[in-house]
Amino acid sequence: MIKFKHIRSRIAFTFLSVVVAIQLAGLIPLKYALVKHANELAEEQINVGERVFVNLLQHNTQSLKQATQVLAADYAFRDAVASNDAETIESALENYQGRIHAQIAFYISNSEDLVIGTANSEKAMFDLQASEDAKQAILHNQNGTLQFDIVEGKPYQLITVPVKAPDVIGWIVMGFAVDGRLADQIKQLTHLDVSFLQKTREHEWQLMSGTGTNRLSNVLVKTVSDIYRQRLSLHKVDLQGQTYQLKIRSLHETKDEVLLVVLQGSVAPFTRDLNTLFQNMVVLTFVGVLIFAALIWYVSRKTTEPIAELVKNADEIAMGNYEKEIHVNSIDEVGYLGKALNSMREAVLQRTLRIQRLAFNDELTGLSNRLALTQGLSQSITRHAETRQSLSVIVINIHRFKPINKTLGRDFGDDLLRHVGQVLKQNVLSGEDVVARLDADEFAVMLQHTDQAKATKYAEKVNRIFDTPVNVQGQAIDVRIAMGIALYPEHGVSEEELLNHAETALHESKVKKADWIVYNTALEIDQSETLTLISDLKEAIQKDQLLLYIQPKIDVKTRKTLGGEALIRWVHPEKGMIFPDQFIPFAEQTGIISEITNWMLQRACQVLADYRSQGLYMTLAVNLSTRDLNNMELPQQIEALLKTHRLDAKALKLEITEGSLMQDPERAETVVRKLASMGLHLAIDDFGTGYSSLAYLRQLPVQELKIDRSFVMFMDKNASDASIVKSTIDLAHNLGLTVVAEGIENEEVLGQLSKLGCNEGQGYFIGKPMPEKDFSIWLERWESQNEIDIDIGDDLSFAINPLDGFNSPT
Amino acid sequence: MLTVVMRKLWVVSTMTFFGMAHADVTVIVLSASGNPVEDAVVVFYDGKTPASNPNAMGKIVQKNKMFNPKVTIVQTGTSINFPNEDSFRHHVYSFSPAKKFELKLYSGVAADPVLFNQAGLVTLGCNIHDSMVGYIYVVDTPFFAKTDDKGRAVIKLSDGQYSYQVLLPGVNKPVAEQKVKIEGATEVKVSIP
Repeated sequence: MIKFKHIRSRIAFTFLSVVVAIQLAGLIPLKYALVKHANELAEEQINVGERVFVNLLQHNTQSLKQATQVLAADYAFRDAVASNDAETIESALENYQGRIHAQIAFYISNSEDLVIGTANSEKAMFDLQASEDAKQAILHNQNGTLQFDIVEGKPYQLITVPVKAPDVIGWIVMGFAVDGRLADQIKQLTHLDVSFLQKTREHEWQLMSGTGTNRLSNVLVKTVSDIYRQRLSLHKVDLQGQTYQLKIRSLHETKDEVLLVVLQGSVAPFTRDLNTLFQNMVVLTFVGVLIFAALIWYVSRKTTEPIAELVKNADEIAMGNYEKEIHVNSIDEVGYLGKALNSMREAVLQRTLRIQRLAFNDELTGLSNRLALTQGLSQSITRHAETRQSLSVIVINIHRFKPINKTLGRDFGDDLLRHVGQVLKQNVLSGEDVVARLDADEFAVMLQHTDQAKATKYAEKVNRIFDTPVNVQGQAIDVRIAMGIALYPEHGVSEEELLNHAETALHESKVKKADWIVYNTALEIDQSETLTLISDLKEAIQKDQLLLYIQPKIDVKTRKTLGGEALIRWVHPEKGMIFPDQFIPFAEQTGIISEITNWMLQRACQVLADYRSQGLYMTLAVNLSTRDLNNMELPQQIEALLKTHRLDAKALKLEITEGSLMQDPERAETVVRKLASMGLHLAIDDFGTGYSSLAYLRQLPVQELKIDRSFVMFMDKNASDASIVKSTIDLAHNLGLTVVAEGIENEEVLGQLSKLGCNEGQGYFIGKPMPEKDFSIWLERWESQNEIDIDIGDDLSFAINPLDGFNSPT
Repeated sequence: MLTVVMRKLWVVSTMTFFGMAHADVTVIVLSASGNPVEDAVVVFYDGKTPASNPNAMGKIVQKNKMFNPKVTIVQTGTSINFPNEDSFRHHVYSFSPAKKFELKLYSGVAADPVLFNQAGLVTLGCNIHDSMVGYIYVVDTPFFAKTDDKGRAVIKLSDGQYSYQVLLPGVNKPVAEQKVKIEGATEVKVSIP
């Protein structure tokens, strides 16, 4: 099967093949018929020619006979004959011979004793053969047939007429040469070439006369002799590249002599006409095919043109040009196809617009999303690169958004996000600036044509707005935001670089609790260090680079040492001492925190076991992370540890933050209840920074509440802090919880807390976090300082962790 | 018919004149296929009796473009008239060596009769009418006859030695020539080859 690139080619090819086939089917038989007809015509012509030839000869014979009869009937001639007047007879014959253009003339008497010929016939007269022939001629003449003879090697037609007186007394014989004249005469009538050929005793076949050209005749002689040998009368022969029909008729035939007349008709004239006809037919066919081809081409083009147009339109759609409507004029199938394409185009257009909206918009706030910001940033960078102008990217994060979301509900959180978004949007510097929500509580602002001064001015302005509480859903809420600023081109020339750097600055701002921080390369070093630390951390656990630190915790009233909070330090082989805030957040993110917690629990248990062997019955509080609270196997692991070290469950305290409970409350609660059922002591860390309600806490099997140090540190100077602490203590006591105060930094605060009825306390005033081996030294000094007897047999169950967790050793 | 009667009478009178014993000699001429041949001329010679009646007269009539009779036998010295009984003219001729003559266009009776005094066959023609053929046998013997429609010719001959010839009109030479001895009535059959 031939493959076609175009439908119209297929149509044209198919139809043209059929047309050509039909034409050929007609032309080929026609050609054969024409050739056959030409041959038939030629044959007919030659047959007619032969009849004409015979008629002509008979007619000639008749007229010559009549002419001769005039002589035979002449009285004087007969008188001469009767009186044997030879001279008179000869002169009469001669006279007559000239008159009727005979070449031979002689008289033979009836008794054959007298033969008189003209001078021309002198030889013939005495030729025995001639006389024989003459007798033959007489016989033939009586039969009325034509008589030819070869006399003296030349062919003649013999006419014989009797001389009567009144009985036949003799014969006049007239001979007419069979020559070119006769041939011409025949040709004029029949339009056939005529040749006379003879064979005699003396000569082989030779052409005596004829109308054909000599060259042709020579070939003819050979051909005719062959044909004659085969006794064929009609023959078709090719002479000199032309086809001839030959008709051979014997005029005279004896043992030694043959005289033939050959009529030759060329087929060419007939073929020529028929060929012309055929050629015309071929030309007509060709013209017809051409016209048909043009028509087919035109029609198929008309058919396929709209399709090609639609293909072009479809290609445009494929390239993403949906806007241009496809115009369809035809009402046929192509029209339907066009309409279908059009509706497809519209559907695609609508969908594309929707996808674009989804792709570039943040549905919640209606701001741009990260993708849109990245693209906008990329375009702006390109533009700014040309104009050598600067721009800035600010990444904004809402402090403690997750707890707000958890506590006040997702709707509230969403509204808050919308509000923050609006604030950011309302304060942009120009219409070209872009505000986008990148993540849950993270926003980004791109400010065009801004240097550091303008960017910080914007940050300042936004920050001032959030100085006052924000009203969301009729509720006033304090919103604190952190901002990181990166500038183009100083801090990066790609959108990725700028965003990353702004994020770095944001992180720094969060860590340092600054309102905003402009990116600088120093931050970058920290960042990279952190990354290196993470990779080193696993190694650190295995190679025992971690150290257990303990911050002491005392009874506020009696100032007796109750135990401590277990803290961690990492002694990096190259960087030296690293504090937990530099690796714990990442450990939490990467999940290594589980191993760290495990390590901490093991170390804590070991330390507790060591103290017990020294006769010191202490408690140690270990911090649990969010991940730990979601680890269902944690209770079993702890149980195994306690068993290994033969420790009482009450010796180990576990500290959890409000936030860690909120991540997966159900799971966390399960784990917490399990731990509580094992008799483990649970404490809420950093109380007051989160949004957990006391009502919720009351449901949990928690025994202890640790007030965040931000409330405690300055309570001696700040009355409101003091009142918060007081009410918290009261509240906790009402719920039956022990209260621990963190961040006790002077004697006054310790005294105040004692008055307020706070149970336990920890802080720099009491003791900084210290290596576990230093704890016994501190203990000795503290006990002596406060003149307290260490009552080892005291009820340890009431010894509550007085010290702060990871984040607040400083 | 009239001529025949006359000739018979003439023969009878001759024989009566000599007063000799005569017998009828019958010659029957048959063709090769056995059919009787009419108008064959039978002539007997005895070698001594010449033609008698030298000034005899004969007549051949041209009527209906025919010579009548077609075959005539006369003795030498006979003159023959050629009366034309047709309404048109004839041109009677003869190229025969025995008697060449020509009677130029005439009607009625030609001026003079033609004398045949040399024995031989004289073929008569008419120069105007090719179809007219007549034969005159000029003989120098008194014994001759023409066969009738039964091929019979009867001649009264006295006994003796004879030779006879049978001639056919238009044929120069005799078709039969024989010697015969006559004794009383004889019948001779001649077959033409």
